[in-house]
Amino acid sequence: MFEITYEVVVFVLGITAVLAAFGVILCASPIYCALYLIGNMICLALLFLLFNAEFIAAVQIIVYAGAVMILFLFIIALLGGKKEISEPSVQRSSAFTFVILLFCELLLAAAVKPTHPITGDMAPDVVNAIGSAKAVGIELFSRHLVPFELASILLLIATIGIICLAKFSYLPARRRLK
Amino acid sequence: MWDDILQFIDPVLDAGFIIGTVKAVVIVVALLGIVPALVWLERRLMGRFQVRLGPNRVGPLGFGQPIADSIKLLFKESIIQSSADKFLFHLAPAVVVFTAIVTFSVIPFGESFTVFGEKIGLWGANINSGLLFVFAISGMGVYGMVLAGLSSNNKYSLMGGLRSSAQMISYELTLGLSALSVIVMTGSLNLIDLVDSQKSLPFILVQPLAFILFFIAGVAETNRAPFDLPEAEQELVAGFHTEYTGMKFAMFFMGEYVNMVTMSSLVTLLFLGGWNSYGLPLWPILAFAGKVFFLLCVFIWLRSTFPRLRYDRLMTFGWKILLPLCLFNLLVTAVIKVL
Repeated sequence: MFEITYEVVVFVLGITAVLAAFGVILCASPIYCALYLIGNMICLALLFLLFNAEFIAAVQIIVYAGAVMILFLFIIALLGGKKEISEPSVQRSSAFTFVILLFCELLLAAAVKPTHPITGDMAPDVVNAIGSAKAVGIELFSRHLVPFELASILLLIATIGIICLAKFSYLPARRRLK
Repeated sequence: MWDDILQFIDPVLDAGFIIGTVKAVVIVVALLGIVPALVWLERRLMGRFQVRLGPNRVGPLGFGQPIADSIKLLFKESIIQSSADKFLFHLAPAVVVFTAIVTFSVIPFGESFTVFGEKIGLWGANINSGLLFVFAISGMGVYGMVLAGLSSNNKYSLMGGLRSSAQMISYELTLGLSALSVIVMTGSLNLIDLVDSQKSLPFILVQPLAFILFFIAGVAETNRAPFDLPEAEQELVAGFHTEYTGMKFAMFFMGEYVNMVTMSSLVTLLFLGGWNSYGLPLWPILAFAGKVFFLLCVFIWLRSTFPRLRYDRLMTFGWKILLPLCLFNLLVTAVIKVL
């Protein structure tokens, strides 16, 4: 009974995520595109939750659905999202070809045999004992420390670069007017 | 017919399901029932703070006032201007109320007790990353305001929506980082563990700076004065809810007051020791309720004391004062923890 319900919920969530993703690329109004993307991200977070990854689900919602998408909406509101008028063009048709190719590639996945979970130190019973947040932390800061630090340095460089690009000169206002 | 229904839901009808349903209903009804009482409290207290009486005509002590107000709001005509985006216009207040109520579902307000052999905890759900869940869902609440601003097709609403999104991003950092210094001390994201680790003394004595920062950021997150820039009357008419009427207008306030209760509960759980009464002969739940009530009064007190900030000052305050202080506090806490 529970198994069937679980499978059905996972399936419905997955389908909803795919439909929301389609909404992102097919919708004409930028506001609705952003909303579909939020819906997609919430679906992904719920899938994580169904696979017992509470921490990843919460982080997914905080970072992507919360912070990143609110910036998207902020920019859309600032620039005034107008509805696009769709007209057939070369880019459009090539984009659709690309999407169809990708979809065909995805169908190849059906030929792949059942997947196996990755085994490691963090077996489900260990994760249940210490909580998923701690499990992620232990993995991240012991075995994957170097890639993690490299990624953080990359982000820091990007931040400094953006500050350098966006910084306006500190000339007094009167001289700037000339 | 009744037997057929019972037969159909029989496998679902175990104790856990019933307890969960009852809890959900109780939490939602209690939260929505608290809102009119809080409005009454706010108006009465504001009256006292400003040396006037406040509403005192309808019923004893003005208790009938919130009822009269809700009836008025329910029967008002709902007007939508023709240039608005109808779907988003309807969606926005629903998002605000929904996220506000869902956030409260993980807030524990007492120890568990046993009834008919079933252990019942005084919380909606006890999840391991409870604190993260609260931040995640309450962060989604700002979409309601932004969508209200965007869909109204009105300059003032748009400005209000923009302001609320910028403000939320800035102050969420402070909120999270000041809570992080408490998490570093306890090593758990579970709200019940957090309360249990404050058995001997509340964290407000250990982490006074984090408490102040968290409370300031909390006031900003709930869009209360002096941080209610998204609805500043002197500049933006009423901000993001300028175009709203009737019950949809009231739903924004419902969301705001429920958020106030949630934020007060969170401050109580993180810094004031939750339901620990520290020697006072009180029921745990009464100790918790008393602390939350006090914090709610502080919210109202702040509103009638401070003037509204200017918007650029608000941003500067958030990014240049609160955030560095938070990081400093976190650093010191981490160093002490390691040593």
